[in-house]
Amino acid sequence: MMGELIARNLLHRPLRTLIGAMGIAVEVALVVLIVGLTSGLLTETAKRIEGIGADIMLQPPSASFLFAFGTAPMPIKIGDKLSELKYVQSVAPVLFQFNTSGVEIVYGIDQESFRAVSGGFVFLRGHDLEGPDDILVDDVAAKTKNIQPGQIYRIFDHDWHVAGIVEHGKGSRLFVPLSTLQELVGARDKATIFFVKCTRPEHTEDVMENMRHVLPGYTVRPLKDYLSLMTSTNIPGLEAFINAMIMLAISIGLLVIFLTMYTTVIERTRDIGVLKSLGANQWFVIRALLSESAALCLLGIGAGVGLSYIVRAGFLWKFPTLTIQITAGWILRAAGIALLGALFGASYPAWLASRKDAVEALSYD
Amino acid sequence: MGIAATIQEPAEGLIFQGKKSVEPILKTENLWKLYRAGKVEVPALRGVNFEVQPGESVAVMGPSGCGKSSLLYVIGGLAQASRGKVLVDGNDLTSMSDGARTKLRRHKIGFVFQRFNLLPTLTAKGNIAIAQFVHGDGFDPHRFDVVSQMLGLAGRLHHKPSELSGGEQQRVAIARAIINEPKILLADEPTGNLDSKNSEIVLQMLRQLNRDLGQTIVMITHNPEATTYFDRVVHMRDGIIVDGVPAD
Repeated sequence: MMGELIARNLLHRPLRTLIGAMGIAVEVALVVLIVGLTSGLLTETAKRIEGIGADIMLQPPSASFLFAFGTAPMPIKIGDKLSELKYVQSVAPVLFQFNTSGVEIVYGIDQESFRAVSGGFVFLRGHDLEGPDDILVDDVAAKTKNIQPGQIYRIFDHDWHVAGIVEHGKGSRLFVPLSTLQELVGARDKATIFFVKCTRPEHTEDVMENMRHVLPGYTVRPLKDYLSLMTSTNIPGLEAFINAMIMLAISIGLLVIFLTMYTTVIERTRDIGVLKSLGANQWFVIRALLSESAALCLLGIGAGVGLSYIVRAGFLWKFPTLTIQITAGWILRAAGIALLGALFGASYPAWLASRKDAVEALSYD
Repeated sequence: MGIAATIQEPAEGLIFQGKKSVEPILKTENLWKLYRAGKVEVPALRGVNFEVQPGESVAVMGPSGCGKSSLLYVIGGLAQASRGKVLVDGNDLTSMSDGARTKLRRHKIGFVFQRFNLLPTLTAKGNIAIAQFVHGDGFDPHRFDVVSQMLGLAGRLHHKPSELSGGEQQRVAIARAIINEPKILLADEPTGNLDSKNSEIVLQMLRQLNRDLGQTIVMITHNPEATTYFDRVVHMRDGIIVDGVPAD
C-alpha cells in the first residue's frame, strides 16, 4: 500500500517528479563524470608512460611525477653515466615541453635511443623523423585533429612537417627531434627525463640502487609503480578539487529534493491531516515522505547513470583523446551519496509534515 | 441510481447482534476547549457534558461557531481538550499523549468529513484500503468486499475521487471510516456538500450502518431534516449543550 501511495503521488505531479529526478540525475552525473574524467586522464597518461617500455625513469631532484608540472632540465651527459652502469641496456633522454594551446606534452626524442628503450614506433602511415622540423603524431591525435602525413602542423610558434602517424601508447602523442626542441625552448644539451631500460626486468632494483649512488638526490622511480602513483590523492590539490565538486553536486541534489519535498508537504497538507485522522502517527508520515523521496532519488540515480554515459559519449565524440572512466564503484558511491543527500534533504519537510496539527491540516485550502 | 438500488444488504456476519450496554461508549465531563487568538483565549467548548451509548446514533445541531466541530475533533482525539474529561470506550483522552490518542483514533474512531477528504492520488479502492493499512492489520479482502458492496461502490473502485460524484466520494469516505470497524463513527456535516438526493442516500446509509451493524454514530449537521435519521438530537449553543431530546 505504501508503494502504491508513493507511486501514485509521484505520478500525480509528473513535472515536479521529473524536475526532482533530474536534479538527482545531475548530481549523480557530476560525481561520476568528474571522477571519471580525472581518473581517466591520470590512468591513460600513466598507461602511455608505462607503454614506453622502460624500467626506470630518472628526474631532477624533487621532481614531480607529473611531468607537465616541472620541466627543469638535466644535463644530457647524465645519460652517458647511466649507460655505463651495470645491467643498463639503453638510456633515452627526453625533453618535455607543455603545449598550452593543445593541452598536451610534446616529447623531444633522440630517435635511436628512444627506439632502443621503447622498441620503436609502429608506423601506420608516413615515415620516421628524418629532418629537424619533422614531427610524429599518434593515431588518436591525428584523428582528433585530422592530421595527415605531409601536412604542416604549427606548435610553439614553429611549423612542423608531419612525417608519420604512429600507433598510440608511447608516452606522448607528439614527438619531435630532441635537438630541435632543445633549441626552441632554450635548453641546449638538456633533458627533462631519462628513461632507462635494464638488461632484465629483475635487475631494476639493482640499477636503481646504482643510480642513486651515482646521482645522489636525483629522483629515481620504477616505471611499474607509475600507474599506482597516478591517483588523485597523489596529486596536489586534485583530491580537494574532486571533493569540492562532489560537495557542489550534493548541494544541488539536496536543494532540489528539499524544495520538491517542501512543496509536496505544503500541497498535501490536507492529505496529511486525513492520514492523521485515520490514525497515522508521526513516524508513518515521516516514513511516507522519506520513502517518496528515496523513490524519487532512485529514479534520478537511474537517469543520472544514463546521463553520465550520454555526456561521456558526447565528450568523446567532441574530444576523442579524452578518457572518461565510468566505474561501477563510483556509480554505487554516487548513488549512495545521492540517496543520503535526498533523505537528508527530505528530512526537514518530513519532520514538518509529521508535526502538523491534524485539525489545521484538515481545514487547509 | 435509486436509493434502494444503491444500498445493499450487509453480510450476515456483520449484522449487529449484541445488546446495548448501559456503559456509555462516549462520555464527556465538563469539557472545555480554548483556542488562543493572539493573547486572548477564546472558548469553543464551555463545560460540555455529553454521553453516547453503544449502538446509538446522535445528531448534534447548532448554529455556526457554537462549537460543534470542536466537540467532534476533541472527542475524536484530533484536538486536545483544555479541561474536563473525554472517555472513549473507557479511555480518558485528556490524560493521553498525542501518540496514544493517535493509536486510540486508529482503532476506535472513524471520521467522515463534509469535504470528503479523499486522497486525490489514490483510487476509491486505495482510499479505503489505506485505512486498513494505517490500522496495521493489512488488507482484509472479505471485509473490503462486504463494505464496498454495502455502500454500492463495487463498480467504482478503480476510479479516482476526481472521477466520482460527490455522493460517491462521500460513500467512499464512509467506507474508509468503517472498514476497520470503529467503535464510534464521527461525521462532520457529511451531507453539507451534497444535493438532496445524495444527502438522502448518505443519511440512509448511516442509518443502515447504525441499525444493521450497531454502529455508534455521532453526526454534526445544520440540516434539521437530517436529524430525523438519528435516535437522538443534541442542540448546542455558545459552546454548551442546551438540551438532549429524543427525535420523532
